Amino acid sequence: MEINFVGLAAALATFFGVWWGHVSVRKIERETVHVWKPALIALALGVGLMSASFLSTNMALSAVFGILGMTLLFDALEIAVRQPRRIKHGHAPANPNNPRHAKILAEYPEATTVDLLNRDPRGRVYSAAELTALKENGK
Amino acid sequence: MNSFGFWLGIAVLFVIGLGFVWVIRGERYFGFLWWPYVMTLGAACIVGALFISNNWASALIGAAGASLIWGSTELKEQAVRGELGWYPFREKKIDPPFAKVIKKWRAPSL
Repeated sequence: MEINFVGLAAALATFFGVWWGHVSVRKIERETVHVWKPALIALALGVGLMSASFLSTNMALSAVFGILGMTLLFDALEIAVRQPRRIKHGHAPANPNNPRHAKILAEYPEATTVDLLNRDPRGRVYSAAELTALKENGK
Repeated sequence: MNSFGFWLGIAVLFVIGLGFVWVIRGERYFGFLWWPYVMTLGAACIVGALFISNNWASALIGAAGASLIWGSTELKEQAVRGELGWYPFREKKIDPPFAKVIKKWRAPSL
């Protein structure tokens, strides 16, 4: 039986595309004042990779370029729209040293500098009082 | 012009999108302790994809496997999201086999 590496290539591109996208979107959005700049770079890289996928005659390479290109296009949307929305809702920690985040902290009462996800599950819902304490104490 | 990568990229976007859905629903009803089983299933899909001669089927099974592995690392955070009230929370979960052993392991989170 012949081994087909297209599936493995697609798997690696999917996993690392999602992982790096997940980590870099959070990091870049946290540090950047003007999010349109990195979003535009991600958009350009995404279009470039999609173009490369059209030009590649190797199926595995075309798969990798296509998947990474598409995840980068989605990352552009994440950087510009979805991650700032998470910051406003307190679903991701705001960076008080970033003027854009400082403004969000001032305008949106739900926004917090605490990473509320950085804990183990405990098996029951947090009460409103516990949530307030979490945000105040950062625990 | 080879359009395989372009269409595959779009298809994988849907596979990843489906990942959000099953992580949210799966954690709500089954809990995060299923992560080793999900991870194993994902790895099995990737290994299986090596033996599929059709490029489309191999790529989609491989990407689905990768999405399962990624999802297995998201289950713990999703459990916390439910507890924080960001998603509907269901206290009674369907525990996996060997739940007591799995509880002692550190759940992956990337």
